Amino acid sequence: MQLFVNPSDELPLYRQIMRQISEAIAGGRLKNGEKLASHRELSEQLVIAPLTVKKAYDELELLGFIETQRGRGTFVSDTPPRASRREQAEQMQETARRLLSQAYLAGLRFPDVVKLLKEADRELGLQRDRDQGPGKKEST
Amino acid sequence: MTPVLEFENIARSYKRGSPVLNGVTFSVSEGEVVGLLGRNGSGKTTLIRIAMGMLFPHAGSVHAFGVSPTKDPVAVKLRVGYVAEEQVLPGGASIAELIAFHRYLFPSWDAPLERQLLDRFGLQAGAKIKHLSKGEARQAALLLAVCHRPELLILDEPAGGLDAAARREFLEASIMLLNREGTAILFSSHYMADVERIGGRAVLLDGGKVRLDRDLIDLRERVCLAMVPQASAPDAARIERTPGCMRVHAVSDQWHAVFEGAPDEVQRQLASSLPANGVRCIPLSLEELFVELLGGRKGGQS
Repeated sequence: MQLFVNPSDELPLYRQIMRQISEAIAGGRLKNGEKLASHRELSEQLVIAPLTVKKAYDELELLGFIETQRGRGTFVSDTPPRASRREQAEQMQETARRLLSQAYLAGLRFPDVVKLLKEADRELGLQRDRDQGPGKKEST
Repeated sequence: MTPVLEFENIARSYKRGSPVLNGVTFSVSEGEVVGLLGRNGSGKTTLIRIAMGMLFPHAGSVHAFGVSPTKDPVAVKLRVGYVAEEQVLPGGASIAELIAFHRYLFPSWDAPLERQLLDRFGLQAGAKIKHLSKGEARQAALLLAVCHRPELLILDEPAGGLDAAARREFLEASIMLLNREGTAILFSSHYMADVERIGGRAVLLDGGKVRLDRDLIDLRERVCLAMVPQASAPDAARIERTPGCMRVHAVSDQWHAVFEGAPDEVQRQLASSLPANGVRCIPLSLEELFVELLGGRKGGQS
């Protein structure tokens, strides 16, 4: 899997790695049990200090996304956790803030936004009913 | 663990009464990578020359592997690799001649590593130094500095004057050495992105002293910027007295204050301790932190 880091990003490098790996696991691009690049390989590939890779892997292992097997390498867990609740909540908070500031800029008021949300919810509900048949690619 | 390199209360001035370094103390441990930061003229090169025994400190002491570099320069140089800021290799010599000379000086010379680096950098051993590009000359200097497998590598502004691609190649080689040899590295740089890529710790020189000496991740996550509208807090001194404040300065109609602590913590702390509205706390990249701590008035105070 190809990772990319940017030192001037808001997140420190090790967190950028953590996020990309956990997202790849959640999105199915990294499969359970798949082998990850070693500290050394990833550090040379991304041109960052090996300690930074180690820090990212250590944290991911604590969260249960990956496992290190002595002498064999690092692998995606067989049962990785779903994207953490807190992370999801943080992302949603950010999205909500952006939605509200756009709405206020457009001259809408809070009740208008609530009305929009209700409409959107209804539409999504209808769509869900229609999509019931073919089934979704929820889990792989 | 004995530090690989140890500065203790180093002072040095070029003009009487205006010290460049005025009590600098820090150390580098085995395998550690330390970025030495500071504005132009903050004494980074002076400090590095003192470490290499090329300058005497006027006060304080320096030890590499427990040895003073001015008392026993040979013992120190056998274990240290050094790349100077400016081009110091003789222009008329070829790379091969310089390699032969270094191999003669250093019994621990690693010929396979030498060939690997020549190959990696695409350097022709027969080429004369004066015919190399700036990037190639710097790569040749790095090769000569590391093939005796030093335990400590000192790089003075290794990326200075190089284009972005040459900088990245130099960085790649440093990372490779770090992985292969576990060498401790002390490097000065103005490129914060490079510091963030290979550094583990940052030491910031300002006003002749160490202004900041912290783990990089800690700096990224435990230091933030609070932006306070001047209209709601007209008094900078008040903000400055708030616990954890590292510096306040004015940026258009805002006070920019650097604080110890994660953004949300500081936001909460200020909400209760500072009678001001519209305070916003955000994380900082290393580059922004550098500007917020040292930018604005020259030689900013704390």
